[in-house]
Amino acid sequence: MTLFIQQLFNGLALGGVYCLAAIGLTLVFGVLRIPNLAHGSLYMLGAYVTYFFLTAVGVPYVAAIGLAAIVLAVVGILLERLVFHPLRKSPHTHHMIAAVGAMFFFQAVAQVIWGADFRRMESPFEGTLSIGGAQISWQRIIIILTAVAVLALLTWFIKRSIHGQTIEAVEQDRTGASLAGISPNTVSMLTFALAAALATIAAGLVAPINLLSPTMGAALDLKIFAIIILGGLGSIPGAIVGGFLLALAEVMTSTYVSSAAGEAIAFVVLVAVLAVRPTGLFAKAVQR
Amino acid sequence: MGASTTTRTLRTLAAAVCGGTLVALAACGGGTASSGEGGTIVIGYSGPLSGGAAAYGENIQVGMQMAVDDLNELGVTVDGGEYTVELNSLDDMYQPNTAATNAQRLAEQDDAAVIFVPHSGGIQAAQELNSGRSEFLLGAYSSDPAILETDNPLTMMVPPSFKSYSAPFVEKLKTDGVEKLGLLGTASEYGQSWTSLVSEEWESQDGEVLTDNSIDYSTVSDFAGPVSRTLSEEPDVIFLGGPSQPTALIIEEARGQGYEGSFLIMDQAKFEEMELFTDPENLNDSIGVVPVREYEDPGTEAFVSAFDELVDGARPATSEVSLHYQSVALSVKAMEVAGTIDDPQAIRDAIGDAAGQVDEQFHVSGFPTEVTDAGHLRNEDFQAAYRNSDGEYEFLPIEHAED
Amino acid sequence: MTARISIQHVGMALVAIALVIAPFALAGQDYVLRLLTMAATYAIAVYGFNIILGLTGQLSLAHGGFFGIGIYVVGLLTTDHGWSFWSAFLAAIIVTAVTGFACGVVALRTRQEYFAIFTMAVGFIIFLILSRWESVTHGMSGISGIPFPEGFGIIDFSEPIAMYFLVLLFLAGAAYITYAIRRSGVGRTLIAIRTSEDLANSIGVNVGLNKQLAFAASTTFAGVAGGLFAAVQGFVGPSSASVNLTFELLMFILVGGLGTVMGPIVGSFVVTFLFETFQDFQSYRFIVLGPVIIALVIFAPRGIVGYLNAYVARRRAKRARRQMAPQAAASETKEVS
Repeated sequence: MTLFIQQLFNGLALGGVYCLAAIGLTLVFGVLRIPNLAHGSLYMLGAYVTYFFLTAVGVPYVAAIGLAAIVLAVVGILLERLVFHPLRKSPHTHHMIAAVGAMFFFQAVAQVIWGADFRRMESPFEGTLSIGGAQISWQRIIIILTAVAVLALLTWFIKRSIHGQTIEAVEQDRTGASLAGISPNTVSMLTFALAAALATIAAGLVAPINLLSPTMGAALDLKIFAIIILGGLGSIPGAIVGGFLLALAEVMTSTYVSSAAGEAIAFVVLVAVLAVRPTGLFAKAVQR
Repeated sequence: MGASTTTRTLRTLAAAVCGGTLVALAACGGGTASSGEGGTIVIGYSGPLSGGAAAYGENIQVGMQMAVDDLNELGVTVDGGEYTVELNSLDDMYQPNTAATNAQRLAEQDDAAVIFVPHSGGIQAAQELNSGRSEFLLGAYSSDPAILETDNPLTMMVPPSFKSYSAPFVEKLKTDGVEKLGLLGTASEYGQSWTSLVSEEWESQDGEVLTDNSIDYSTVSDFAGPVSRTLSEEPDVIFLGGPSQPTALIIEEARGQGYEGSFLIMDQAKFEEMELFTDPENLNDSIGVVPVREYEDPGTEAFVSAFDELVDGARPATSEVSLHYQSVALSVKAMEVAGTIDDPQAIRDAIGDAAGQVDEQFHVSGFPTEVTDAGHLRNEDFQAAYRNSDGEYEFLPIEHAED
Repeated sequence: MTARISIQHVGMALVAIALVIAPFALAGQDYVLRLLTMAATYAIAVYGFNIILGLTGQLSLAHGGFFGIGIYVVGLLTTDHGWSFWSAFLAAIIVTAVTGFACGVVALRTRQEYFAIFTMAVGFIIFLILSRWESVTHGMSGISGIPFPEGFGIIDFSEPIAMYFLVLLFLAGAAYITYAIRRSGVGRTLIAIRTSEDLANSIGVNVGLNKQLAFAASTTFAGVAGGLFAAVQGFVGPSSASVNLTFELLMFILVGGLGTVMGPIVGSFVVTFLFETFQDFQSYRFIVLGPVIIALVIFAPRGIVGYLNAYVARRRAKRARRQMAPQAAASETKEVS
């Protein structure tokens, strides 16, 4: 039972990270129909920029994440302007290859600036909390809480604020939105900025329990793609459910079956779900 | 996109492109002049300089470059001619087939007679080449004994075989009352071989081996899950290891979750690196390989401080750095002894004699004192390091396993 | 008409001649020959990509995985089970065709991006099986000592040049099949599916079955390439089947030209050469290569062959307008697919 509680919290923390990273990806997909394979590298850059603010500039942890999110929002906008905007009329194969090119580039840049060796980031939240005999580190609890808070804020932003509503409008009907005077360019940039900022928050949260390296995003890429497909491309609730579901499946499978099965489970679940429902769990009207 | 036929000129043009490429390839193939009369000795290196293992590959590159610089300062004379040593590195991203391509390129285009490859997949792929097609002596840095099982006559195995470690490691930790071994190694070629070796050894000494929780250290986002699972079976000893930094993190996580037993750490992880990534106290009561700085060889001190200066104190000198430093010097000495810079077989044959003649400054961390017939470089004073509960290192002599 | 076709064949022949004389021009340059052999091996897999992506318009990201199945069937059967190369190679072709078809049954229920990511997951699962099912595949340790194909008479495949020609033979076969498909009704059916599945359906095309067959054909090409790759390398590890390989192959075909007959060859050779040149930059090379890749898809989205195609088409259209306008234009539309 202790093991179960322990793994439940581990799974929730992992789920929080997956969600934050996956939502950006699904937003970009919903609005622009771009499968952005470079999303993992934005996550990686976010971690390094947070690290930079924390160690080289010396601002506190939370502020460092905030500043990094702003920097990455700018990087996201640049990525949209320089790479994806010129490709807006191309088929998605071209987006994918361009994204792979961007991924190579970001990884190489991180390696040149920060070196190839692993970095460790300290968090002010140390120590562990004992729940039902299980030892859960504060950092993981912070991850779960922040994920919930950010997700709530994001939902509010998209449903209530003017800028957020434009995103949803474009997602639902591109032509209609532009007829209503919404500029697709502005929305594209806003979406990329938001996605990169969310990835940075995820990275800033997870960095203290893992290590920074130029390839840290590549491992995440495949998983978050599995998540957004599972949830239904472009669906935010889908990404949230998918994120927590896959994280829990991963942790529980490696606990009760085997660690190799745990590595594969995300993809097995994905294949199984799509075999039954080819459009994911929360199919939206994106399948045009 | 109509291709089928708009294409006659197009096909001609495509042909031109293809042909042009071939010509360019040919040109780049024929461009290099062969050395021979004198001038330059090229030492080749193919390792991961980008991608997930780049830190490892770059570290080795630094060690080799240090040796090259020191050799040039001392001067190299082969068969009466003065030579400058040069290091040529290529990136293989840890891919076996790329490593083999690189090795062939280094051997043919740069006339490198000695080529170092630091991963067993790349070594085995390169061995398919130097047994007949391209001639080069392979400086094989992998403690996986599989690289000697191929009976390749032009292989020089640099580090000790990991087979030598498992028995003494297990003997040291499996004291009275210690029964259960948890497995938490990395899921790489290397980790998998280590895991099965240690499991066998543990079982042969009547211990119980628990579930195999190997995970890929480079792709897992949070180590807490696998650690919790391993601890739930209440192991007395945990076997683990991969790159030092994630290994340190897993050890910290295990201690954080209340584990008090000992760790059996595979040779890929280094104490000196792990100390920097976690509170060193977490590492107490574990066995692993001897930190380079603990050696008392003539060149150890100078080497450790030179490396420190070179990398600005960013990371410590580990054995992959020092062993490459040593073996580059040994290879060049073997050329001097053999009197040739381009006959790999002669160079290989001269290594045994050369080992005794290498300048003392290159003796850093167990300089080879013998070379086996299979080409394994060995030092007779071979030790393991046990970090006791006070954080002190104790050294225990170990025997080299049969290759 | 006659002249047109013969000149077109001259173009193809020139490519063929360049590839055939290359090893003789490069006598003693085993390294360059190795690069050529590798590029040719990959080009065969790229032809598979061309059928499913270029002609049918389905982005399958499982291609690296099926390449891996080809490698492992040949590698494991020849080493652990003592099969001859040729029987193992045949087995590889059958296995990739059958698994490809079976996989297609499920995969092709999904469409567009779902299909892309679904197949990416399939590719990754294949990679995980190859790298983690130790008792059968040797896990991460890989397979060493894969023999060369058994020779016939005086042909000895341990000679790199013989191996090169063997690969080249299969490459020519792949190119010819693509050429034949493009000219046949099958090709038109596939292109109709690429243009619009609903439309194809409404004119009586069995969309499901045709996609299914195209998918199985593409995985078979990957299996052929994988089987040859195993023999060329002698040692293989699971990293030869990683998802990254799929993207590399995708890059080859985009650079060469999607849907074209010569694109896979041109793309594979040009990119292999490009990557090899950038080796000198070591860890900095992707700072240059990354933007180069992006620039290629932005500025030459149709690939080298596709771009040349369009250029030729424009010129010919101009000339046609100048000469006997109606007649030439008719043949133009007929030929440009």
